[in-house]
Amino acid sequence: MKFAKFIAAGILASTILMPVSGYAADKPVVGLVMKSLANEFFKNMLEGAKADEAKRGDYTLKAVGMQSETDVETQINAIESFITEKVDAIVVAPSDSRALVPPIKRAIDAGITVINFDVALDEKAKEEAGVKLAFVGPDNRGGAKLAGDALAKKLGEGAKVVIIEGNPGADNAAQRKLGFMDSVEAGKLDLLDSRTAHWETEEANTLFSNMLTAHPDIQGVLAANDSMALGVVKAIDAAGKTGKIEVVGFDNIPAVQPLLKEKKLLATVDQFGQLMAADAIDKALKVVKGGAPLEGWVKTDIKLVTSDDVK
Amino acid sequence: MNTSDVSQTGQTRIATTTKTVLREAGIGIALIVLILVFSMTTQHFLTASNVTNILTQVTINLILSIGMTFVILIGGIDLSVGSVLAFCAVVAGTVMTLPGLDPSTAVILATLSAVAGGIFFGLLNGFISAYWAIPSFIVTLGTLNIARGAALQVTNASTIYSFPASFNAFGSQTLYGIPLLFLIALVLVGIGWFVLTKTVFGRVLYGIGNNEEAARLAGHNVFFYKIAAFTICGGAVGIGAIVYMARLNIASPIIGIGFELNAIAAVIIGGTSLSGGRGSIIGTLLGACIIGVLANGLILLGLSDFMRQMITGFVIIIAVVLDKYRERLTKV
Repeated sequence: MKFAKFIAAGILASTILMPVSGYAADKPVVGLVMKSLANEFFKNMLEGAKADEAKRGDYTLKAVGMQSETDVETQINAIESFITEKVDAIVVAPSDSRALVPPIKRAIDAGITVINFDVALDEKAKEEAGVKLAFVGPDNRGGAKLAGDALAKKLGEGAKVVIIEGNPGADNAAQRKLGFMDSVEAGKLDLLDSRTAHWETEEANTLFSNMLTAHPDIQGVLAANDSMALGVVKAIDAAGKTGKIEVVGFDNIPAVQPLLKEKKLLATVDQFGQLMAADAIDKALKVVKGGAPLEGWVKTDIKLVTSDDVK
Repeated sequence: MNTSDVSQTGQTRIATTTKTVLREAGIGIALIVLILVFSMTTQHFLTASNVTNILTQVTINLILSIGMTFVILIGGIDLSVGSVLAFCAVVAGTVMTLPGLDPSTAVILATLSAVAGGIFFGLLNGFISAYWAIPSFIVTLGTLNIARGAALQVTNASTIYSFPASFNAFGSQTLYGIPLLFLIALVLVGIGWFVLTKTVFGRVLYGIGNNEEAARLAGHNVFFYKIAAFTICGGAVGIGAIVYMARLNIASPIIGIGFELNAIAAVIIGGTSLSGGRGSIIGTLLGACIIGVLANGLILLGLSDFMRQMITGFVIIIAVVLDKYRERLTKV
């Protein structure tokens, strides 16, 4: 599979890297390191950033994405080539909260302004490397708690629920699970099981059907993203339990809008991904232009979305 | 030994049949043992609703595995099936959600376009690997990326949803507890079994897997047969894509990642030799069921996700090791 990755990286590098030719000397250059552009969420985020570049017109954007969610090498290579090109700022959504710390340190040492957004780098890894870096991003744990609390309120104390987790090892998956656990505790819910479906619709469908067999009395599902919630809702329909099991998701993707409307999905969480990269770039440019460096955690907006928000 | 030659003697044919039956019996016993273990250790395993679940969960992998069996039998491999499934699904999804089509026309056109998409990639895989004599491993690694990229390009990475209600409902319907989708897969198993065992075409495929040169010298157009095997695989992927859409009510360019590995695992567990020339569709059916039963049973047992993954890996290895012994015992 190494070879597949190599080919993939080659294809990506040649297609996604923006035309390098002739940017004006006075315009700052921002290197944007994205996660998988095969993921609708990040693709929209990139489009938001491009729209921002066109609207502002006072910087040049160079974006690199990955082929898959876990393709760490492509991101490291991208940061290294941005260092070589001496860009003014690097805005990065890390695919791995530890592996990206050393290349980011090299960028900072080279005098480049670095902004970490979407997924926070590991605090301990940062400390060990001697990197001080602010994080611009949503509170995944808080967001998950919003969705979890909506479910708890609907079902009441003692309700039997399960959690469908994201990729083990992914920081946002871990944070969302913690948020769900907060709701389980606060709402005194009865957590029967918690398993990963790797963010995937088909796997969530299979997993939830099997959970339902093991625990026929499940009343609520906390899914760590909407793609998995889609699979769960279809499994509920197939089991003839439509309306008897409440589901909450995360991300507010277009495909769940009909489910919200039909009340097959109780709630989801919007973290305004389209604006996230553009927002981080704006913050980076302020620092490049002499503003104060960012510190700590700059939280971005999150919002609970229910059927009331869908027309 | 040439089990494939159409003009083989009656004696070798009977020997071959006996061997095949023995091989399949072995896999069948493994499946029964698994079922017994899970029935005894978990409360809900042998309930009607769980059997329905398992059959639903087996269906897509089974359909892909049927096509994969044809390719592996001629000594090839198709790594592109997962990506091609995504490509077929987004093409079919686009067709199905075209404005102004009535539901039944939309579903029929979508099905045709999914199968056409699969056949297109099958032809491409077969032609390139047969014409330039390139290992299909590397050709399908290329088409894996082409199909995935094309799927993303067609949709601009977005998920297609909101299919006709009747289509969505069809995906969950059962007949005496058997999902309709699984029945589609069973029909394909029947067709595959017939083609491979009862037709000259099928026997020649075995012959190519055993000894390509001998098949060529016997006057068979190996070029044609190779393309045909990959095309059948592609067509099966197209049907798999429609089944995926009916089951989950979405079509997305990022579905099907890793499906090729599950399909290969089912075929190999089912006793088909990776070097070709040996194996059967019934074996593949049993292999796919073993994978499905294992995935389901281990969740019901309450094992952790990581343990499940490890055990699935062990079972694949145990299956092929056992196959080596079975091969020795049943050698004529």
